[in-house]
Amino acid sequence: MKELFPLKQVMGFVFSLVLTAVALLVYFVDMSFALGMTILLVTAFVQAMLQLMVFMHARESEDSGLILSNVYYGVFIAVVTVFGSLLALIWGYM
Amino acid sequence: MKLDHSQPLEYSSEQGRLNILGFWIFIGAEIMLFGTLFASYFTLEGRHGSGPSGAEIFELSPVLIETILLLTSSFTVGLAVHAMRLKNKKAMMTFFIITLVLGAGFLSMEIYEFNHYIHEGAGITVSAFTSALLTTIGTHGLHVTLGLFWGLFILIQVAKRGFTPETANKSFIFSLYWHFLDVVWIFIFSFIYLKGMM
Repeated sequence: MKELFPLKQVMGFVFSLVLTAVALLVYFVDMSFALGMTILLVTAFVQAMLQLMVFMHARESEDSGLILSNVYYGVFIAVVTVFGSLLALIWGYM
Repeated sequence: MKLDHSQPLEYSSEQGRLNILGFWIFIGAEIMLFGTLFASYFTLEGRHGSGPSGAEIFELSPVLIETILLLTSSFTVGLAVHAMRLKNKKAMMTFFIITLVLGAGFLSMEIYEFNHYIHEGAGITVSAFTSALLTTIGTHGLHVTLGLFWGLFILIQVAKRGFTPETANKSFIFSLYWHFLDVVWIFIFSFIYLKGMM
């Protein structure tokens, strides 16, 4: 039975629950918008890295260089799309 | 077919290895797809006109339950892949079934939530905010729905054929898809719900 629950994945699961609990602080504790967004950005991206490395085994295959550069490229495009849209349509610049 | 027995079954054939790489490239494209949805949502979230705003319709408990369900299902599909590498078919199928049941639980909560929004007067045509909101969350929900059927068919194949390089490969690729959906949900949970209720 025990060999079915590898420590690495159990710890990963516990850590992902902890990250969710930390993210919930922004709901239960009164804090500034900037601090809240910082907490959310950190917990969300750490959670994403955790899934990628622990559960999706992104580093174990011999194609891992290709896999990770493709994922980071996708993330880069997504981040530029999101912040570019915000800059052009909401924030503006001086 | 040439098999490399030093590798886990899902990587053992050239075809299998390339299928996995190809699926990762698909995930890269999916990241960009959700990037565009988030970009529209963040641009339009303040434009609720005379309709309700996010803070007025979001409720913490159903969203939190959905998060726990999906996080747990992501863990169990990871355990299913681990059991598959131990060649333990019974354990693998059990974890796989738990994953699909948790996924179905997630989906029913989401359907309940959509119903709730429509009752609160936040249908998809009400404002730019509701359109962006329901399109973003709905696209994720559609992925989960598709995943449930996909997972079910893979489960049937594993039950019938056991672990072969093909079924192991399909199961592993399904697990990648499922973990990815969990990651997308974490971003929805953080930047749509928690940010909206902050």
